[in-house]
Amino acid sequence: MSSMKQWEPPKVPCKSEMEVDNITNLPEHVIDKILSHLSLRDAVRTSVLSSKWRYKWNTLPHLVFDNQSVLVSSQDQTLVKNKLVHIVDHVLLLHSGPIQKFKLSHRDLQGVSDIDKWILFLSRGALKEFVLEIWKGHRYKLPSSIYFCQNLIHLELFNCLLRPPATFAGFKNLKSIDLQHITMDQNAFEYLISSCPLLERLTLMNFDGFTNLNIHAPNLLFFDIGGVFANVNFQDTFQLAVVSIGLYSNMGFDRNLPFGSASNLIKFFGHLPRIQRLEVQSYFLKYLTAGKVPRRLPTPCIELSFLSLRINFSDLDESLAALCLLRSSPNLHELEMLARPEEQNAARVSANIVEEGYENCPFNQLRFVKIAGISGLRQELNFIKFLLANSPVLEKMTVKPSSTDGGWELLKELMKELLRFCRASVQAQIIYLDP
Amino acid sequence: MAEADREIIKPEMMKSYIWLQTSDGSIQQVELEVAMFCPMICKEIHSGMGSSKNYPISLPSRVNPAILSLILDYCRFHQIPGRSNKEMKSFDEKFIRMDTKRLCELTSAADSLKLKPLVDLTSRALARMIEGKTPEEIRDIFHLPDDLTEEEKLEPIKNTIDDPRIRLLNRLYARKRKELKERERLKNVDVEEEHVDDRSVEDLLSFINGRNSDSKGVKTSKNKRKNRTRKDPQRNTSSNSTSSTNVVNVDKEFNGLDLTYHDPSTCDHILSNLGKTLKLLNIEDSFPPDDGFDGDDLDDDIDPAMKEKIDREVEDFARRLNSHWPERMQEILSLGQERRRLPTAFNCNGSFRTYARLDQQQK
Repeated sequence: MSSMKQWEPPKVPCKSEMEVDNITNLPEHVIDKILSHLSLRDAVRTSVLSSKWRYKWNTLPHLVFDNQSVLVSSQDQTLVKNKLVHIVDHVLLLHSGPIQKFKLSHRDLQGVSDIDKWILFLSRGALKEFVLEIWKGHRYKLPSSIYFCQNLIHLELFNCLLRPPATFAGFKNLKSIDLQHITMDQNAFEYLISSCPLLERLTLMNFDGFTNLNIHAPNLLFFDIGGVFANVNFQDTFQLAVVSIGLYSNMGFDRNLPFGSASNLIKFFGHLPRIQRLEVQSYFLKYLTAGKVPRRLPTPCIELSFLSLRINFSDLDESLAALCLLRSSPNLHELEMLARPEEQNAARVSANIVEEGYENCPFNQLRFVKIAGISGLRQELNFIKFLLANSPVLEKMTVKPSSTDGGWELLKELMKELLRFCRASVQAQIIYLDP
Repeated sequence: MAEADREIIKPEMMKSYIWLQTSDGSIQQVELEVAMFCPMICKEIHSGMGSSKNYPISLPSRVNPAILSLILDYCRFHQIPGRSNKEMKSFDEKFIRMDTKRLCELTSAADSLKLKPLVDLTSRALARMIEGKTPEEIRDIFHLPDDLTEEEKLEPIKNTIDDPRIRLLNRLYARKRKELKERERLKNVDVEEEHVDDRSVEDLLSFINGRNSDSKGVKTSKNKRKNRTRKDPQRNTSSNSTSSTNVVNVDKEFNGLDLTYHDPSTCDHILSNLGKTLKLLNIEDSFPPDDGFDGDDLDDDIDPAMKEKIDREVEDFARRLNSHWPERMQEILSLGQERRRLPTAFNCNGSFRTYARLDQQQK
């Protein structure tokens, strides 16, 4: 029996420092983080790297199935759709651990019934973010299981039909909702908004099924709407800071309010004391002119620092409404006025606003002004003159006319006038941009 | 001690230092604001540690001195308020340039210190290294062991194939694998001591052309075996002709053929598939959707050596199919007919006997 030999480390280092595998033994949540920066396809492909990597992708908390993460190229749409369904089935089956985010947005995915079963599967877990975009086909009716995902924080839907069941009690944790091209009932919509106590962001684009926007959301901070509606009522949105509203149609709202009722302007701003950024798009300014347009609002919007207005300068009411707004925003920092390309003989193209309408109204914070789409009309020039004369700290004003064919004369006049206007601010630059 | 603690936490103090101890035991002094950027160290400070050299904050084992200095550089830059996004971005981009080993260590250390922004930065950098690379390249970069068996690698995980050709070839590979398995089985069943020929066609050709006599012997036995299984009479005509030179010549041609299809059952199979494959390669992808995942949806990255070998074999099969087979067919047919006529014209003894034998063998 030989004596025990002392084990000696090999003289030549068996593995140089550079050949050690450092990445495989990182903690699971770190690996998840690394893989979550890859497309789903690349993440799943790591399963062929080595035996330890075989199932590392299984705990990915975010699953995104979109055109990049799933490469199935073929002209046959049915084939692509079937492959996509296979892939989602397969991934969901192999996955282990919580799924926090699920996004399904593939070009060739129409409202297949498999989505129902996937949503059921997800609703049994702790789903926090759900994004579903049906690119083509009819509105996809969401299954009732989605309405019981109580952990949902963000919901984003495109081309869907929402019909919550009678037992729907709201999303208690929902903070952000983004609905585009959806169909929904009036009552269902109102209930949805009011039953989400933590709601902070609401985006709504191109909806049908309801025309009254009664918004009852005390924690709402961000509101972005574009569509056709009859009226909008903010009920208790006292925190609302960013609002962007576009009314896509000139019809449908009641221009003639009953005598004595407050104008839409006053009603609208009555519940927006903290508003900071406001974008008035399409025909919404027209909507605001309903009722008698006041000279200024009862309470000024002291926090309003950015204002963007889509305006028809030829329309007297709209000009008055714009002036009212401007007068009520003493702390305005940046202003945009974009002309709506419309027939010149629309609405009351009456005489210009009397000079006194443009009386002194100092914009002590206004630094940037952008005017676009004008064609050199008298009314437009009046506005510009008014702004220049009342902005002592103005830094830059850009003026960009709309592309006119042959209206060079008018533009030349415009430029001449621009040069002539008095400026209250010594460092004001007026920049003329080509149409 | 208590007094010292209170002093450290007073916000009016300008340059206060705290003491950190790394896994190797060394202790260093770090500015308070810089160290406070790490949540884990922050917690420790608030519970009173780190104020003096005797009570340093011991950092987790994953943090060694070199990595610690990197982390402190990061903290030093980012804890200064008022940095613009652009500044921070350009710092981060420069900071992240280091070799993979260090990057992994940094990730691990930042994670143990709960420094989330740094973990995000490093994991994004590591993801960029993985993105878009083949498994071999990734294994190379991170020194991962290639320890999955061929089977496991070929096991499809999800359909990542986007080229119909590759998908078709993968099917072929799958069938080929099945063939190989079957050959194994057949080999075991076969009583005769004979090696299964899995040499490539080229090898076999050179084998024939080089060592004719030997090969003949071998061929006979092989052919005998084939007689048992094969039903095609035409091929049988070649099998037992070894003696006469005439027949030998014919033999050579036929043997060329034989070798191509030396394993008849599976060869037929492969051929028909090849035929299909070649046809289908030219048309739009029209496979039924649920072919299952068995051979269909293989990952792109099959072991390259095996892939090459299979490629070569497939090409050979294809070539033979396309170019040689029609002519061969003609030859066989014409020769077969001639031979039947010939016995009366030629030297009756030898050839007749041969042909007679051939005829006898024809079943």
